[in-house]
Amino acid sequence: MNFRQIATALSVSAALTIVPALAEYPERAINMVIPFGAGGATDISARAIAEPLGNAVGKPLIMVNLTGAGGATGSVNVKNAKGDGQTMLFARVGSHSVSPAMKETLPYTLDDFRFVTVYEINPVACAVTPASGINSMEDLVAKVAEGGVSYSSSGVGSLLHIAGAMVLKEFGVENPLEAATHIPQKGGGAAATAVLNGTATFLCTNSSALASFVANGQLKPLMVTTEQPITGFDAPTANELGKPALNQLVGWTGIAGPDDLPDDVATKWEAWMATATQDEKFIKTMTSAGSIITLMSEEEANTFIRGQFEVFRALVDDLGMRIEG
Amino acid sequence: MSLMDNLLAGLSLVASFEVFFALFVGICIGVVGGAIPGLSATMAVALTLPFTFSLQPITGILLLLGVYKGGIFGGCIPAILIKTPGTPASSATILDGHPMAEKGESGRALGMALWASCTADIVSNLALILFAGWLASFALKFGPPEFFALILFSLTIIAGVSGESLLRGALAAILGLLLATVGLDLVYGTNRFTFGDPNMMGGLNFIAVLIGLFAIPEIIAMAWNPVAHLGKPRALGQSKVTFADYKRCFKSIIRGSVIGVFLGSIPGIGAAPSAFLSYSEARRKSPNKENFGKGEIEGVAASEAGNNGVAGATLIPLLALGVPGDVITAIIIGAFMVHGLQPGPMMFILNVDIIYGLFIGLIVSSVFLFIVGSVAIKGFRFVADVPKRILMPAVLVLCIYGVFAVNNNIFDVGVMFAMGWVGYLMMRYRIPAAPFLIAFILGPLLEDNFRQAMLMSGSDPMILIRGPITWFFWVVTIITVVAITRSVVSKDKLGV
Amino acid sequence: MTPRSVQLHLGATACLISLVLIFVGIPHAVSSPSNVSNIVLSPTFWPYVLSGFTGLTGVGLVLAGLRVNPSEFFEDEPENDSLGLLRLAALAIIMVVTMFALPILGMVWTTMLVFAFTAFLFRTRHPRTAIICAIVIPLALYVFFAHVAGVGIPQGNFLRLP
Repeated sequence: MNFRQIATALSVSAALTIVPALAEYPERAINMVIPFGAGGATDISARAIAEPLGNAVGKPLIMVNLTGAGGATGSVNVKNAKGDGQTMLFARVGSHSVSPAMKETLPYTLDDFRFVTVYEINPVACAVTPASGINSMEDLVAKVAEGGVSYSSSGVGSLLHIAGAMVLKEFGVENPLEAATHIPQKGGGAAATAVLNGTATFLCTNSSALASFVANGQLKPLMVTTEQPITGFDAPTANELGKPALNQLVGWTGIAGPDDLPDDVATKWEAWMATATQDEKFIKTMTSAGSIITLMSEEEANTFIRGQFEVFRALVDDLGMRIEG
Repeated sequence: MSLMDNLLAGLSLVASFEVFFALFVGICIGVVGGAIPGLSATMAVALTLPFTFSLQPITGILLLLGVYKGGIFGGCIPAILIKTPGTPASSATILDGHPMAEKGESGRALGMALWASCTADIVSNLALILFAGWLASFALKFGPPEFFALILFSLTIIAGVSGESLLRGALAAILGLLLATVGLDLVYGTNRFTFGDPNMMGGLNFIAVLIGLFAIPEIIAMAWNPVAHLGKPRALGQSKVTFADYKRCFKSIIRGSVIGVFLGSIPGIGAAPSAFLSYSEARRKSPNKENFGKGEIEGVAASEAGNNGVAGATLIPLLALGVPGDVITAIIIGAFMVHGLQPGPMMFILNVDIIYGLFIGLIVSSVFLFIVGSVAIKGFRFVADVPKRILMPAVLVLCIYGVFAVNNNIFDVGVMFAMGWVGYLMMRYRIPAAPFLIAFILGPLLEDNFRQAMLMSGSDPMILIRGPITWFFWVVTIITVVAITRSVVSKDKLGV
Repeated sequence: MTPRSVQLHLGATACLISLVLIFVGIPHAVSSPSNVSNIVLSPTFWPYVLSGFTGLTGVGLVLAGLRVNPSEFFEDEPENDSLGLLRLAALAIIMVVTMFALPILGMVWTTMLVFAFTAFLFRTRHPRTAIICAIVIPLALYVFFAHVAGVGIPQGNFLRLP
């Protein structure tokens, strides 16, 4: 009885596998992998776009949080998925430009993915506590020379990790790895807390993660890395400080598929994203959190990601930050 | 504005059917979500978040808080009935809750869990309302050295949950600490015991380990002897908790609530250690010490008070500092941000009506929790009457779905199975599972904070005794260790 | 097993684990960068400390075991049973096969089989109920997780559910 049932089930399923080969993409709900945990910047961004994007796609999107190892676990999962567009990834600055630039043992490279778009840019700001007595980047650099300065990050290979080193380097600190101590934390929230409670001296992270602390006067911004000033951040821009090279130091969120993603799928994604990013509620949600919505075409996105990767790579080689173990 | 004005402003904000309805629905979602292993309070909150975007801020946030509180309580239902914690926080409840269910007292255990949870919830909410500012500034004094000392002290809980042999408990704890080292190194980002597998780089999933360690060994044991349970009075979960029970456990409940409030207000610790600490304190102080772990109702009361005491208190760092204390509050912060609210000291000035609205909502939530919880207990109690040889396969299937859902990864199902066999071997060799689990939770915290402290000081160990908080925890740790050693020597528990 | 043999077995195993970790496990499976400034910060420091403690506990267990009276025994010792061993092996096989079947068959069909096989492995007295549950419970869980909780339950290469 039992075995006959199984046999029947199997034969029925075999008959049903002959799916029409020419079915229009997407045939069914698309799995969207978010490689970071709930409540983080990637997650908020992904869930904000889920609704308008789902409307544009016309099929449901299943948001899948697959976290671990600074985004590596989820990214590898998509890398190994079939390139039929049914599994896509929310790529993020930490997992797809900083980590590939730093980690020799990362189980994927940029070539394993086809980036279809980048839709959101997050400016980066550096901040200290008011109690530290540091009021400008100059003060900070002077303090670094005295010694005992440290910066927090959300983990090795995160944007915050490289940002701390890159900013100090740009401001003329010869060997930022020796001059300032990197104190990694677990997650972005913990990184900000570490500065608040005096564990670390400063941090450089997405302005959205700092906005409430700055508004509450708990943290003092020293500078922002964008060309334009950011509302709510009473601090000079990198350009005003004469360091336009720091404009490269921004966070971003994009969408990627496995590297064998076919062209027609990629084209569709560009069109869907063009519709979805017009959604007023989405724009309002994201800009109120400090993001800049800029939709990049596939080509622009690739130039942008590669460009940032090369900058980080050069810095990593220069400072000897490569992780080989 | 005076307190009265603030209260009135808050009241005008929450005094609508919609708000209370959202809170009630939230608690219902939470209890059901928490009662499904793997779904957990965290997942339930994350799933509810998108629905709050279109609601009024206060309605949305209270909906999420309802889910959170309901979820933390709901976790105890499967912990007691099928030895599978619904959320990590309820793993301490298993220790005595499940033996009670085995004795046919699941109704009593669940009832006590509910009473303890609601009491702790009220204490926690009151602490939030009265002492938020003070506790928050206290929490900000916790840097890595203080954390290290606190967690070192928390490891002494192991002695309380080791059962018949302290040495075997210690062995379990060390194995748990070792297993927790799997993954990427915090400071250098290098691989530790990952064997090149990207799934291992994130470390072993906590919930997969937890369910594997507690639920799966029961299933394996059933394969070993499918008729072992016959003749035991497992069914008939009709027994009820009495007021005398509550009165007897009241001290433990209050103690657990206070522990929950303190640990909850410090970001980064969470509800599970609090529940275990509360449990071990209750055991230490109880005249029925020997009965703990064999179905002592005070154990259930203490662990549930410990984990629900955290629920209100995690809002202290969130509201007063804008710092999320755990994953759940990190998600709730998202809901604040979406509505353009920025938690932190300024919120007490700019949005004081929302703050007081939240306070009023929270007080009401304890009452709702009691109502929803009573109904849920009645609904779920029938589980105790299901024939065990049908129940166990169902638990197995449920665990597969639940563990997958936590991180959408089939690998975690494998981790659960593997840990199930480890757990079964430990059971056969009479190694207690609870110390293993506590060590697995606390191990990474201990190591990370130690290394962060070393980074801060340039490897000067003196930083570990840098201030009064660290001195306090070092002293209580030493006192506890001495007390444990003396009791071991006098009773000669090293032996069996 | 007697209390004495439990302590001795565990002690010996712990010592063995400790030695294997110190001499094989940690040198091979934990990578440490060459530029570690201080020994206490090295990624290998903590595993070495823990391995040492494992060894110490092992020695402690052996010493404690030697002091136990050999004639002591556990009151609730499960009796040995070769059929039991066979069932354990069968359950292990079910679990291993499940891991391979999950991505291919999908979670719903796999768990139906798991339910049915384990229920019969446990020699249930209600075979009819077991079969019905084996079909209904995985389906109900699928509906809940996939459509209420929005989890992407793996569907497999064959029959897909809506």
